[in-house]
Amino acid sequence: MAAGGSRIIHPVTRRRFLTGAGIGLTAAGVVPGLSNPFVARALAQTKTLTIVQWSHFVPAFDKWFDQFAEEWGKKNGISVTVDHIPEQNIAARAAAEASAKAGHDLFMWNGAGGAHLYRKFLVDMTSLVDELEKKYGQVSTIGRQIAYNNDDKTWSAFPDYYINNPGIYRKDLWDEVGMTPDTWDNVRIGGAKLKAKGHPVGCSLGHSNDPSLCWRGVLWSWGAAVQDKEGKRVVLDSKESVEAVKFVTALYKEAMTSDVLSWDDSSNNKYIDSGVGSYIVNPLSAYRTAQQINPKLADNMFFLKCPKGPAGQMVGAASNCYGIWKFAKNKDAATDFLRYYAANWVDAFKASTGYNMPIFKNIVPKPMPVLDNDPTSHPPDKLKITETSDEWCAVAGYPGPAWPATDEIYNNFIINDMMTKAATGTMSAEDAVKWATRECEGIFKKWQQV
Amino acid sequence: MVAIADKAAKPGSRLQFILDSPAVLGTIFVSPAVLYVLVLVGAPFLLAMYYSVSAYTIYSQSYRFVGLRNFIDVVQDPVFRQTLLNTFIFTFGSQIVGLILGKFGALLLLRPFPGRKVVRALIMLPWAVPVALATVAWEWMFDSLYSVINWTLIALGIITRSDAPNWLGNPHLAMLCVIMVNAWRFFPFAIVIFLAGITSVPQDVIDAATVDGAGFWRRNYQIIVPMIAPIVVVGLIFGIVFTFTDLSIVYLLTNGGPVGATSVLGFEGFQVGIVSGDVAHGAAISLFMLPVLFVLVLVMLRSIRRQEI
Repeated sequence: MAAGGSRIIHPVTRRRFLTGAGIGLTAAGVVPGLSNPFVARALAQTKTLTIVQWSHFVPAFDKWFDQFAEEWGKKNGISVTVDHIPEQNIAARAAAEASAKAGHDLFMWNGAGGAHLYRKFLVDMTSLVDELEKKYGQVSTIGRQIAYNNDDKTWSAFPDYYINNPGIYRKDLWDEVGMTPDTWDNVRIGGAKLKAKGHPVGCSLGHSNDPSLCWRGVLWSWGAAVQDKEGKRVVLDSKESVEAVKFVTALYKEAMTSDVLSWDDSSNNKYIDSGVGSYIVNPLSAYRTAQQINPKLADNMFFLKCPKGPAGQMVGAASNCYGIWKFAKNKDAATDFLRYYAANWVDAFKASTGYNMPIFKNIVPKPMPVLDNDPTSHPPDKLKITETSDEWCAVAGYPGPAWPATDEIYNNFIINDMMTKAATGTMSAEDAVKWATRECEGIFKKWQQV
Repeated sequence: MVAIADKAAKPGSRLQFILDSPAVLGTIFVSPAVLYVLVLVGAPFLLAMYYSVSAYTIYSQSYRFVGLRNFIDVVQDPVFRQTLLNTFIFTFGSQIVGLILGKFGALLLLRPFPGRKVVRALIMLPWAVPVALATVAWEWMFDSLYSVINWTLIALGIITRSDAPNWLGNPHLAMLCVIMVNAWRFFPFAIVIFLAGITSVPQDVIDAATVDGAGFWRRNYQIIVPMIAPIVVVGLIFGIVFTFTDLSIVYLLTNGGPVGATSVLGFEGFQVGIVSGDVAHGAAISLFMLPVLFVLVLVMLRSIRRQEI
C-alpha cells in the first residue's frame, strides 16, 4: 500500500459476513470437540479434591489449613483446592451447589444449621464419626447438636469445632468499681457504674450472630428456652423468658448505650478494642486483634466463663461442620482427608490460636496447648478458663436438637428482636415474649408439616 | 443478462434467498437474546412460580401442590406485612430523592463551567462503583463508633458525642440511611435521563417561552418537564423495578435491622428461601412483588402513551 501498489477492497456483504461467521463458529465448535478426549484423559489422570469453607476470623488458620491440605494432596497424588468465602455467603453457596448438584467435594457450614437442612444431599458419615470417636473420645453434646440426626441415629456431617463465647472484660476498669462480671447481675450493676465513667457494656442487640448467641445464653441461664428437649414444642412463652427479657431491658437501659442496636459481629470487638467498652461476650478474636493493635489494652483484657444467671450458666456457640455432597466427584478422598485432618487436629487447634474448640473429648488433651499457656498473653494462663467451654456452651436449639426450625428462628433474628423490642420500650417484656412465641410457633408448624 | 441468469441458477441460491430476507435474518439475530431471556429469566421465573405453590424445601424436595397456602401463611405474618410496607417506603423514598437530585444535577451540568466534562464523568461513579464496595464505605460513615458524619458534626460544634445520632440503630434513621444510599446510587442514572431529555427539547420552544416572559421555574415545570416526562417515566420504571427487587443495600448495611425496620421483600425472601431453606415460602414472599410491579409498570406506561397522544 505504502509503495503505491493497488489493493482490491472487497466490501463486506451480508452474505460474506454470514459465510465467514459460519466458518468461524464451526471451527470454534469442532476444535474443542477434537481436543476434548485428550484433555479429558489428562484431567482423569489428576485426582482432585475441592473444599469450600469460610474465611476464618483468625487468618493464620486459613494459611495453615491451605498449606496442610496442599501437603496432604502432594503425599496422595491429589490436587487440592481450598476456596475461602465470606461467612455470609455460605448459605447461598450451599443452596446453589445443592440445586446444581455440582460444586465442591467438602462443604463447611459455619454459624448455625447446614448439616440438618441438607442431610438428604449429604453422604452418611456415621462410620467415619464412629471410627474417630473410638480414637479421640466421645463427641460432645454440642457436636451431637451440630450434625447428629436423632431420628435415624446417623451423622450427616463431620462436626469439626465450635466457637465459644466467653466474657471478655477490662480488668483495670472493673477493679476500679471493685466488681467482677461473673454473674449477669454483676454485669448489670458494675456495667452501670462503668457506663457513668464512659465505659459501657457492649452486648449487641442487632441482626448478627453475636447477639443471637449471647441472648440465647441469657434465656438458658434464666431457665427458659425456645423449644423443649425433644424439639417438638415451642416453650418460649414462660415466666422465665419474661424475667430474662426484663433483665435484658434493665441491662440495656442501665449499662449499655443505643450504639448496640446497630451492631454487626465486628462491632463489639471494635468497641472493646477502642478502649471504650468494658465488657463483651465474644470469641477470643477480639482479644487477638487487641494484642496486635494495642498490646497494653490487651494486657488489661481478661476472660471469664459466660455470666451466671439465676438458673444456670450457658451461652450460645457457633457450629462448624464439614459435609460431603452425595454428588461429590471424589468422596473417598474427602473422607480420607477428614480422617487425616482429625489426626492432626492439635496442629489445627494451635493454628487457630485456641479459637476452634474441639468436639471430640480427647482430640486435644488437657491442659490444652495455647489456652493453658499462651506465651503472647500476660499472664500466660489468661485463656485457661475457656478450656472448659463445652460445659457452658450450646448451639441454637438447646436443650433440644438443632433442626431446620430452630435454624430459621436463628436466621430470622427472632430472639434478638424479642429482646430489642422490650429493651427499647416498643413492647412490654410479656408482649415481646408472646410476639416471639407466635413467630416461633409459625416456623415450627411449617417445618413439622414437611 | 446471461450472466445474471447463470448466477440465479447456481445451487444454494434458496438458502441465500432466505438469508436475504430481513424477516428471517432478523429472527436469526434476535433468537440468541430471546433464548437467553427464556432460559435465564423465563425458566427460573416459572420455577419460582411453581415453588410458591408447592411444599418445596431444601430439607424435603417435594413438588406437592399446596395451592395458595404459602401466600396465606406469609400474609398472616406481621413481620411480612411490616416488610411489605418497608419495601414501598424504601422504593418510593429512594426514587423521589434520586429524581430530585437527578433533576438538579442535570440542570447544573447543563451550564458550561470549567472542568464540566470531568465532573460529568465523576458524577457517574456512584452508579459505576460495585454495590458491595460502596455500601461498606457507607457502613463506615454510619458506624455507631467511628461515623465520619457524626465526627464532622461534633467537630463543627453542631452536636455533642452524647447527642450523636445512631444512624443504623434508630429504626427511622436506619430506613432513611438505606433510602439515601440507594438514592445516591440511583441519582447518576437520573441525571443521565434528565440530561438526555432536556437536551432533546428544541431550543426555539424555550426561547419562545422566555420571550413570552416565562421565568426559570415556569420554563422548567410547565414546558421542559411535561415534554421530557415520557423519558423520565421510563427511567423511573427502571428505578422502581430495580429497587423493589433489590436486597443488596439492606443485606450489606443493616441486615434488615434494627428489629426488622429495614427488612425488604428481597431480603426477607432470601433469608427464608435460601438461608433457612424454605424455598416455597421464600418464593411466595418474592413473588409478592410481581402483581405490584405489573400494575405499576402498566399504569406508568399507559400514562406515557396518553401524554404522547
